[in-house]
Amino acid sequence: MNPVAVIGTGQTRHARARDDASQPDLVREAAARAIEDAGIRARDIDAVVIANMELFEGRAWPELWVGEAAFAAGKPCLKVATGGTSGTSGCIAGFHQVASGLFDIVLVVGFEKHSEGHTQTGMTLTDPYWDRAVASGAVGNFALSVSQYMADRGVTELQAALVAVKARRNAVRNPHAHLQMPGITVEEVLASRLLAHPLRLLDMCPQSDGACAIVVAAGERARKLHPRPAWVRAAATRHEQPYIGDIDRRLVTMRTLRDAAREAYADAGIREPLKELDVAEIYEPVSYAELAWYEALGFCAEGEAGRLIEDGVTEMDGELPVNPSGGVLSTNPVGASGVIRVAEAALQIHGRGGARQVEGARTALATGYGVYAWADVIVLADRP
Amino acid sequence: MTAGSLRRPVFVCGLGETGAVPEDPRSIPEMVLAAVQAAYRDAGCTQADVDAVVTASVDLLDGLTASNIAITEVVDAVMKPETRIAADGLAAALHAAAQIAAGSYDTVLVVAHCKASMADYQALTRWALDPIYLQPLGVDFLACAGLQAMALAEDDPGAERRWAQIAAARRSCGSSAFSGLCDVDRILVSPLVAAPLRAGMCAPLGDAACAVVLTAQAPARSAAIAVRMAGLGWDLERHSLGDRHLRSWDGLKRAFERACGTAGIEPTAGGFELAEPSCLYPHEEELFARATGIDAATPLSPEGGLFPGTAPIVAGLSRLAAAARRMRQGRAERALAHGAWGPAGQGQAVAVLEARA
Amino acid sequence: MSEPLLVPIEMDQSWRYAATAAMARFCAGLKERRLEALRCDGCGKRYLPPRPVCGNCHLALRDWVAVRDEGRLAAWTVVHVPILDPRSGRMREAPYGMGLIRLDGADTTLNHYLAEQNPARLAIGLGVRAVWREQLVGAIDDILHFEVLR
Repeated sequence: MNPVAVIGTGQTRHARARDDASQPDLVREAAARAIEDAGIRARDIDAVVIANMELFEGRAWPELWVGEAAFAAGKPCLKVATGGTSGTSGCIAGFHQVASGLFDIVLVVGFEKHSEGHTQTGMTLTDPYWDRAVASGAVGNFALSVSQYMADRGVTELQAALVAVKARRNAVRNPHAHLQMPGITVEEVLASRLLAHPLRLLDMCPQSDGACAIVVAAGERARKLHPRPAWVRAAATRHEQPYIGDIDRRLVTMRTLRDAAREAYADAGIREPLKELDVAEIYEPVSYAELAWYEALGFCAEGEAGRLIEDGVTEMDGELPVNPSGGVLSTNPVGASGVIRVAEAALQIHGRGGARQVEGARTALATGYGVYAWADVIVLADRP
Repeated sequence: MTAGSLRRPVFVCGLGETGAVPEDPRSIPEMVLAAVQAAYRDAGCTQADVDAVVTASVDLLDGLTASNIAITEVVDAVMKPETRIAADGLAAALHAAAQIAAGSYDTVLVVAHCKASMADYQALTRWALDPIYLQPLGVDFLACAGLQAMALAEDDPGAERRWAQIAAARRSCGSSAFSGLCDVDRILVSPLVAAPLRAGMCAPLGDAACAVVLTAQAPARSAAIAVRMAGLGWDLERHSLGDRHLRSWDGLKRAFERACGTAGIEPTAGGFELAEPSCLYPHEEELFARATGIDAATPLSPEGGLFPGTAPIVAGLSRLAAAARRMRQGRAERALAHGAWGPAGQGQAVAVLEARA
Repeated sequence: MSEPLLVPIEMDQSWRYAATAAMARFCAGLKERRLEALRCDGCGKRYLPPRPVCGNCHLALRDWVAVRDEGRLAAWTVVHVPILDPRSGRMREAPYGMGLIRLDGADTTLNHYLAEQNPARLAIGLGVRAVWREQLVGAIDDILHFEVLR
């Protein structure tokens, strides 16, 4: 892919319910912040990509209503939707559109307003002839995969709780994050309401209202506009078979994420991710998934994920901070979550991380996760 | 900015369609599989040659969240990159072309599908309208088309007859699985659906799937004529009809200018030997002509366009396929394919196609 | 600031979904308590639910094989969140067991309910057998749940 870089990011204050803002308001909030961060004006945007899983809000073609809020009126604008990976897909679509030569600057905005939706439409992520009648929702599905992962790799509820605590403690330093739980402890996580054995409330991501935007620029333009662009070194995507029962021990194997990471690392010239990555923003829908992703992303050998979290390797002061933003476990507006990963990875390279900045971050990883096992892996760096 | 140019050429090397029918008894995956297999056969390729897939479908129309999940296996996207553009299928093709030009993939499969027969399509379109100001009024895409048509007909007493003639002429062109009126007088007395639009004037909506294979290499195969996607352009107008110029498709004009700019040609009708607009109603052909300068003086929808029958989402991609087919037969060297979505064509997409022997 | 304006809109829509030919045959078999899978000529994987193509081998699936209505637990959980049962229209009371069941004769696993809701009595590898409803309509929830064989 021709050289492109992220030169600006912006996001809303994420919350359980943003009653103070309509869906277009959320989109505008993030879009305006992103262009300000990039130091450009709305008229400099050549095209817009919107990421949103509109059926959660019961809608169709949402870009028609919210496009103007994303500064897209009178401009090329398309909407991308791929479940939980919508945000990372949207970012990758933005990368492709800039790299194509068609545009110098593309704005990508992901958003979701779960408070304006209904859980019923989440239930329609199922085959009407198969699992719509026997579904238990996302929590039940994750719990099933977790039972396999625990049996295979020996991770414990305590290790998962450490992930849950890390996420919420990191979120305290992120003014945008939805869940703010200063002083959260492992005991609190282990005592929180059991949703589906062994998943507890605090092991799960929330549903949030929020939006996040990034500004993508072509090589020449990026250099002119930003002192330290976050160059896209790799962007890999893999989709998977459609039923949960098709996937061999989902968290254990996660072949999609593994293969996308393999390709991304090869493209970015990364051989030892733990050493060569300075920060990672990974899409962890439940605490246990983060442990599984450590292994799938090659941060450690199989069976070692528990040790990684226990040894603090992925804490803010560890060798590879994972999710300084607080991750999906702290903020989850589905259409935005993937964009948040890319934005948080980019702003680390930009040096805009504030209280959550990882010192000297030069190479960052962002991943997306969606549906049962769809995966995106993106590598950003301070050099093209 | 001035229109950018594609960093790599993009060619259309495979086409496959089910054709639109009022109700396809097959499931969506089976319908899509048929179109995809036909596209591979036409391209002389297999799924192993395809690097990535871009799908086009709308969850609400399929009654399925993450609607692309139902077709992952039949579009051969397992362990491959796939992305979904939830707008008209031509927009998906434009994005796929951008992916190829970006150097990310060499060959991309583009697939669009929709079964309007599954649900009450017009009722579902209400969920695309602003939920604060428009949706509570029950406004749907048909009503918006009526409003636009009325704005055009207001000081044009010959408009309705002219539109009936267009609909009749287009429907007489080719075979159709739909029963539609081909007689002008009968069209003029058919029931009003959104005045001044009458039932007999509207393109019928049904079920279809369409697949196109795009590639960075001119196909070396038997086809002596290679069809290249030389120009791409798309646009989104403002949402509220009151914020738009109702008597024109300004978005199409901008999209057309961008596409011509990318192709390195003047944005005029001259040079185009074929146009395949996506017009669901006759007045839209006149909006298309105003925006692009291309009217019936150029061969326009020689197979009838959408009037013999079409499916939402598939329409624009089927226009690309129709244009490409005729170009391969040597019947046009430059063509414009068009797709639109949203109320009164709020979203617009065009591709400038060039043939090369 | 004044009170936020909330505009409520209700959606009441229905869709008619066409099943694949394979799924239609499978569902017909359920009325006779018959389970079948489609076996891929390439990799040999036996797929439940049946579908037109093996996603890994890109081959059309044509070979039907019999599947028993018992097998082993490949995954399990006990869910504490009540959920709507579409068949009865009432909430399925929690806690209820759920599992991924590798039926004897299939290589994919079936996501279905378990009759057991005590986690201490559930483990991967346990044998389970389908308990069928009285009234069979040709849907996967003609199986009420799976009981653990002890």
